[in-house]
Amino acid sequence: MRFDSFEHMLRHFALTTPDAPALRYEKETLSFAALRSRVLTRSGELKNTGKSCLGLLCDGSLDNVVELFAANLAGLQVVLLDASLEAEVLKTLIHYTDVDLLWGDEELKDELEISLMSGVRDGAGRILFFTSGTTERSKAVVLTDHSLCQSAWNGSAKLPLSPQDTLLCLLPLGHVFGFVCGLLWGLSCGCCVALGRGQRHYIDDCDFYRPTAVSVVPMLLGFLMKMRCVNPELKLVLVGAGDCPPSLLSAAAASGLRVSFGYGLTETSSGVAISVSGDPYAMEVCPDDRISIAEDGEILIEAPTCIMQGYYKRPDATREVLRDGVFHSGDLGRFDENGLLHITGRKKDILVLPDGTKIFLPEYESALMQTLGHTELAVMLKDDRPVLVFSGEGDAKGIFEKLRDLMRSLPRGQQITEVLLTDEPLPRTATGKIKRWELQQKVRTIA
Amino acid sequence: MTRQDVLEQTKKIIYDCFPDMKDIDLQEDSVINTETAIDSMGFVLVICKLEALFDVRIPERQWKKLQTLGDVVDAIWKRIA
Repeated sequence: MRFDSFEHMLRHFALTTPDAPALRYEKETLSFAALRSRVLTRSGELKNTGKSCLGLLCDGSLDNVVELFAANLAGLQVVLLDASLEAEVLKTLIHYTDVDLLWGDEELKDELEISLMSGVRDGAGRILFFTSGTTERSKAVVLTDHSLCQSAWNGSAKLPLSPQDTLLCLLPLGHVFGFVCGLLWGLSCGCCVALGRGQRHYIDDCDFYRPTAVSVVPMLLGFLMKMRCVNPELKLVLVGAGDCPPSLLSAAAASGLRVSFGYGLTETSSGVAISVSGDPYAMEVCPDDRISIAEDGEILIEAPTCIMQGYYKRPDATREVLRDGVFHSGDLGRFDENGLLHITGRKKDILVLPDGTKIFLPEYESALMQTLGHTELAVMLKDDRPVLVFSGEGDAKGIFEKLRDLMRSLPRGQQITEVLLTDEPLPRTATGKIKRWELQQKVRTIA
Repeated sequence: MTRQDVLEQTKKIIYDCFPDMKDIDLQEDSVINTETAIDSMGFVLVICKLEALFDVRIPERQWKKLQTLGDVVDAIWKRIA
């Protein structure tokens, strides 16, 4: 069923299946009726505060979810913040998004209190997510409960859950994929959502909650498979927010799991295409969305119900990617003969050399990883020439030796000219993507 | 129990979880994510096992700050000493 708002969704299930379990966290279970009741009560309290913008220091708990729905219902702008970030970073984000009220860990709140702002005038319905910052500094993406609900409907139209299912929510709620596919997908289908108990319970949450479906990023799927902590009731895994190696997919399939991939961005309120048939890399476009491929291969998305309002206070950045209702994704793709979408790379992950030569990084780095048997590496530009940033133990001479044949097969302009060794891990987003903008800054300082 | 005991137990857990690392001589200043080839999920596993072994709880918010083996040992030692 399609819902216009969080309140519409909660009201519907509170009336039709009031006693059905909506949320589980540790040993506590809230029915839909109890969840809505708590949201209504808390919403009234929030209205009385006179505040207008709530910063949620997300911890993934049941209270966290109640607070989010309640603040939205009370007409506050809601900003989802990653509580694991450094306090100084959080202060910057709070300042940028006009937060005048905080929810979360008391100690952290005390530390951040000083950075509170004076709120906003027109924030009702808005939910702000931060982009993962893979290629540039994080921006706050303005979504709404309406767009998020439409996105959940879009996904469930292709991949429905039943009220008998239990969806395990392991991903952070501050990540749009975690929020929509870990929480709203389940609630909008009337099924129970089990809220993961944090990273330390990745290993036993499946055993504890006995879910039938789970949304994960590839790295987490790898962990679940490696540690053999998948429960027998689990039948569906939705993977998103990153490339999933075929070997991992085979391992999941061998365990009897059905694996689907979702493609989407924060700017589109999560998924716009999803795989539902045999080939998990071949995705059907969701009903509300229209996808076309530009001449240079870029995926262009029209998603009138799910598209962001814009980047918060960044009309210039919004205009760069959203023109005439068309969102320029920065990702590359193609349609196969059956009309199914395949993702082939990221446009912004192309290095353009002074001689016009282009390096498609995912493909290039994959070849380097295969040759070196090492995944902690990245190709960057230094003095306009490609260099290899190698994180971990190794020596430049030995690395060059291993790469000799591969380099010989490449045009001279694309050959690695220098190996930069670093002890530090490569900067990555929560979903494991390299933060290239950050690494580019560091390249200058690596000896 | 001494801090040295915590260090030895921590190294043992890492070697048990990652047998491929038997040849690596872990030092206090070994950087967990690179020199030890333990990825972020592997790190979660090590911390969980250490928490269970020493019956301590290191807040998840502090996990990112544990860069070296010595940092991990200090985080545990602080809670049991």
